[in-house]
Amino acid sequence: MGNNSSEDRRPGPIRRLFATIRRGLAGLDAAHRERMTALTAYEARELENVFVLLLFGSFTGMPAPPSFIAVELLPFLEHEMRVLNRRAENASDALAELMGTLDADA
Amino acid sequence: MKTIFFTGKGGVGKSTTSCGTAFQLAELGHKVLAISFDPAHNLGDIFDVRLSHRKRKFTANLDLQEADLDRAAQDYIKRNTDILTEVYSYTKAFNIDKYFNVLRHAPGVEEYAALTALQQLLQTSGDYDYVVIDTPPTALTLRILALPRISITWIDRLRRIRSEILDKRHTVHTVTGKYVEEGTKLAYDAKEDRVMQKLKELFDRYVDVAKHLSSDANQIAVVFNPDYLSLRESQRIVEGLTDLRLPVSAAITNKYTPGLKEVADSVESELVGKISPRPRLARVPWQPYKREKAYEVGFDLASLFTPDRP
Repeated sequence: MGNNSSEDRRPGPIRRLFATIRRGLAGLDAAHRERMTALTAYEARELENVFVLLLFGSFTGMPAPPSFIAVELLPFLEHEMRVLNRRAENASDALAELMGTLDADA
Repeated sequence: MKTIFFTGKGGVGKSTTSCGTAFQLAELGHKVLAISFDPAHNLGDIFDVRLSHRKRKFTANLDLQEADLDRAAQDYIKRNTDILTEVYSYTKAFNIDKYFNVLRHAPGVEEYAALTALQQLLQTSGDYDYVVIDTPPTALTLRILALPRISITWIDRLRRIRSEILDKRHTVHTVTGKYVEEGTKLAYDAKEDRVMQKLKELFDRYVDVAKHLSSDANQIAVVFNPDYLSLRESQRIVEGLTDLRLPVSAAITNKYTPGLKEVADSVESELVGKISPRPRLARVPWQPYKREKAYEVGFDLASLFTPDRP
């Protein structure tokens, strides 16, 4: 009797098929949404790069804001500093990165 | 609380006229603080008392103080060094955090220190009717007065960029349900973004100073002598203040003698012609340096700065 009820609770093949389809669709949806926002995320990173570049302009010899502004913001800019660093590393291939984001290199 | 800045070329008598004004205002019953921002203080010499960065009561209505800009610079350096040491805390392990001390030689420290001192002064002087400020040499004074506006302009631009970043992050979050990069959850709401909060805090801090400086509660006096050398520098001060949209409310010819009337007329008209609206004018007669009561200038200066002027 107990075994029978356990077998009853196991999803049937139809239910499993629907669950797989549902997961597949969710994955497709997420991938589609990621693709839709890839350019916006790219723009956000570029702005983050510009933000720290302006703030720490003296790194590159650019006119910088009064230094106390940069120092006061420094503790909260770990992510942006990482973006700046990566941007500098990929500087020679910025176009390729953009093409990749736009999916134009396929 | 009203502030009165005394500016002018070195040696024209800024300190004497500012002390005279402060003393007269106090004698009229106003509560007054006379403070020197000039690193080469002589406020104490004029009142013949020993002064420090702490306020000292001279009469019932008059307090005196010499702002310690070196101390303010040290405080500024310490604050920044503390932030750097905290962010790069591992430097402590190698005892290399001490090298941040080189910051004290960074350009602009004196101005930021003076600006911080000014900001604190404005915050803590609400009980006074008048705060009379003897200023450092022209170039430094103009830079100090310009800093709040410069800082606000920068902070404002940075806030706009930050706002755009947050907008884009918000869009990504709305569509994908998350905004995570390299395992870090990034803020997309201005209220949660610590950078935006800090920018707002800095903006509020300096906008109050900038607002005060350009308000009716602030008056700036240019002091000069009846000679063309002090006229040239006074003209540069007026041009600098005009650029900063800070009005000159009084033009004081100091060390005036009747024999110099022609030159004084010419200097005064040449200078005042460049100031709009027209400032109040005064000619303080020359008097030899007195060992005692040098703050008694023998001329009514207080009426230049009080609204009920005849």
